[in-house]
Amino acid sequence: MKDNQEPSAVFSNSLDAYFIGVFRGFHFFLRFFKSVFTRPFHTREIIHQGYEIGLKSLSLISLTGFVIGIVFTKQSRPSLEDFGAVSWLPSLMGIAIIKALGPLVTAIICAGKVGSSIGAELGSMQVTEQIDAMEVSAVNPYKYLVVTRVIATTLSVPILSMYCSFVGLTGAYFNVHASENTGLRVFIQNAFSGISFLDIYTSIAKTVVYGFTIGMVGAFKGYHATQGTRGVGKAANEAVVLAMFLIFLEEILIVQVSNWFRNF
Amino acid sequence: MIEKSNKRAVIVGLFVLVGLSFLVAGILMVGNLHDTFQPKIKIVSLFPDVSGLKKGSNIWFSGVKVGVVSGLKFYGSSQVAVDLNIENKVQQYIRQDAKVKLSTDGLIGNKILIIYGGTGAYPEVVAGDTLEVEKTFTNEDMINMLQANNENLLEITTNFKTMSTKLAAGEGTIGKLLNDNELYDNLSATTHALHKTVDATASSLNKASAQAQQLLASLNTFSAGLNKKGTLAHDLVSDTLVFNSVKSTARQLQQIADTARVMVATLQTASRNPKSALGVLLYDESTGANMKATLKNLESSSLKLDEDLEAVQHNFLLRRYFKKKAKAQE
Amino acid sequence: MNKSQQAPIIDSEATVIRIEGLRKSFGTLDVLKGVDLTVLKGENVAVLGKSGSGKSVLIKIMVALLQPDAGTVIILDQNVHDLRGKALDALRLRVGFSFQSSALYDSMSIYQNLAFPLSINKPKMTRKEVDFTVEETLDAVGLKSKMLQMPADLSGGQRKRIGIARTLILKPEIMLYDEPTAGLDPVTCAEINALINQVQEQYKTSSVIITHDLTCAKSTCNRVAMLIEGTFLKIGTFDAVFQTEDAQIHDFYEYNFIQ
Ligand SMILES: Nc1ncnc2c1ncn2[C@@H]1O[C@H](COP(=O)(O)OP(=O)(O)OP(=O)(O)O)[C@@H](O)[C@H]1O
Ligand SMILES: [Mg+2]
Repeated sequence: MKDNQEPSAVFSNSLDAYFIGVFRGFHFFLRFFKSVFTRPFHTREIIHQGYEIGLKSLSLISLTGFVIGIVFTKQSRPSLEDFGAVSWLPSLMGIAIIKALGPLVTAIICAGKVGSSIGAELGSMQVTEQIDAMEVSAVNPYKYLVVTRVIATTLSVPILSMYCSFVGLTGAYFNVHASENTGLRVFIQNAFSGISFLDIYTSIAKTVVYGFTIGMVGAFKGYHATQGTRGVGKAANEAVVLAMFLIFLEEILIVQVSNWFRNF
Repeated sequence: MIEKSNKRAVIVGLFVLVGLSFLVAGILMVGNLHDTFQPKIKIVSLFPDVSGLKKGSNIWFSGVKVGVVSGLKFYGSSQVAVDLNIENKVQQYIRQDAKVKLSTDGLIGNKILIIYGGTGAYPEVVAGDTLEVEKTFTNEDMINMLQANNENLLEITTNFKTMSTKLAAGEGTIGKLLNDNELYDNLSATTHALHKTVDATASSLNKASAQAQQLLASLNTFSAGLNKKGTLAHDLVSDTLVFNSVKSTARQLQQIADTARVMVATLQTASRNPKSALGVLLYDESTGANMKATLKNLESSSLKLDEDLEAVQHNFLLRRYFKKKAKAQE
Repeated sequence: MNKSQQAPIIDSEATVIRIEGLRKSFGTLDVLKGVDLTVLKGENVAVLGKSGSGKSVLIKIMVALLQPDAGTVIILDQNVHDLRGKALDALRLRVGFSFQSSALYDSMSIYQNLAFPLSINKPKMTRKEVDFTVEETLDAVGLKSKMLQMPADLSGGQRKRIGIARTLILKPEIMLYDEPTAGLDPVTCAEINALINQVQEQYKTSSVIITHDLTCAKSTCNRVAMLIEGTFLKIGTFDAVFQTEDAQIHDFYEYNFIQ
């Protein structure tokens, strides 16, 4: 070892570090599926985390969902007016909110709020050796910290997304009602006229994937935090950036895959 | 040792990344699994103008998507050869005399191709067949046709004017017919009778509508009574007033129908008698035919004009203009 | 005060920890270059050394938080680095580890900090039994009154003691202390030293105590080992180790007591 002082990199040091990061992420991802089906399940911690996540994002999601519903309706009206198709507005909003906006807005808010907080929390636990402390007291920290949080986000984000779509449609309804005097029943009927069950399934599948991504990325970045308190901030920051990147990528892929099913 | 395992991690990381990239690229590139694995046949159509049809545009047959446009190329001096990829399973329904036309998916949707028509007299299409194209109307075509219709209409009304002048002067068969006093008396008597019948019909229709109104009202009361309380049977038996009024309304309706039948019968016998003026008009074939043709022409051209105007008004491109005009008139 | 001579509970026949030829390097930095150590049943051994000499690395390797490059660690007749999953957890339950930084779970109250490893590892215990054990252990470290406070509300010395209590609650056979007295005033140091001795007697544990505090080593340990430049230069009773002419050991001794 003495005669080999310079550690020989496969590519360059930074590129190597990047690939090692990918390897770790992959390993971390696989470990989830190895751990999730074995005891103990830490059900109470899952419920606690789900509750925390919901509570953390509820107010922001309510506000954002509502505002987006109103603003989108307002902005879409002029272009429909040109074709005399204002009566399509509820249907357009239904499609836009349920298929795209609700899931995406929820995912982005949760990535920002939940992803970063998971990254920071696990990051600080890592740098203050709390994760090591769990390990030496024979508690599997991966199961207790990572699996519970990932399950919690995977379950809460879809629920939050449905809630966000609901709030968004409420906003859209208020706007439509104010401008066109459309009744609630007509609005609901029209809003769902353009939505098939495949759309709803796709929407739910999307949000499940987003939730999983947010939890996984946040936990991964936190779990592998280094460099003391600076590492904690970095972990939180990187968790948000990576989660958002992956969410957009997944959005494209899921829409693509759901289009395969559309023709069967 | 640590370096060895690091090296392994780097290589595995690289492979994971490459694998994921291929997966993503694969998902994005395989446009549509379903379509990719459906067996297809290719047929061709020649269009003078495809108005922005694209590769990948949908093809409908009886409102069902049956394939996509797989290619467009120029053909000859000014034509476009469009390749139509049609799913094998619908091949049997498309006959060789079917036609193809351009259309849009909805009001402002994408361009699509529509296959329509076709009869059992022809065999089903096979790969490489060419389907005939039907010209569709553009907005410009519509306005041009409107112009032509206007001219036609003008000519017809002019013709009719000269004809009616001649009729008044007693020229021609109809003119003579009209100027023969005895015949005229006959005719006027018949017309009178006809008037009477028409009046009677009108009044009976009026009556009928009034009675229908009444019927409706009593039915309303009846149903209100039904809604009120107790079972249906109970109410029907106990509320004889309502029941009777329903019965009398039904009888009145019957009467109206009978009156109408009698009226039609009268008209029929009248027209069958060649001596009556109406009979002459109907039975003198050459005169009748002439007159009928003229009237028909007039009717169909005015109908066409009406349709054109309607179509133009509904065309969204011209809607603004008409709206403005309507405002200006107010 | 000097504990080296009195060793009433040591069983010289039974070895609980045996370390042989341990090597560890980080990149180009060789931290451990061949470490050998045995610990007998009931014995307290101090590992002394300068800051950055690799004491924490050694103790972390002993509980498989780090993997060695070479060498073996045998604890309670099991090769630590061959164990995986359940078997490793079972061994870890028998080995208590008190962190240099205390590493208390700062999202949990003191009570929860202690109850947490119990509730996970002994799920059959009733709520009452857990409460009782937690109170008993907190009593042992003299901090029963802080039960419902959060770790952030405690002083450094109190956290250390809670950290020790958290490992004691699982009734380990071996205790590993990483710098139990670092950064504490002499009075608190003495309290902690007393606690370590009390644990040895009360729980019949063997211990490895990492420290650079000679008072601590002298008052709590039967033997001391000097870790210098990646190996143990000298292992023996406190007096035997420091009655030497080796310059490095001498410097260490002088500096410590002048301070
Ligand atoms: N995970 C790690 N990665 C890289 N180097 C490390 C790591 N852990 C420890 N080191 C290095 O190993 C050496 C020994 O560290 P260690 O923590 O064991 O010191 P120590 O003897 O416990 O010091 P102190 O008395 O200050 O706690 C240090 O130089 C440190 O930089
Ligand atoms: Mg240390």
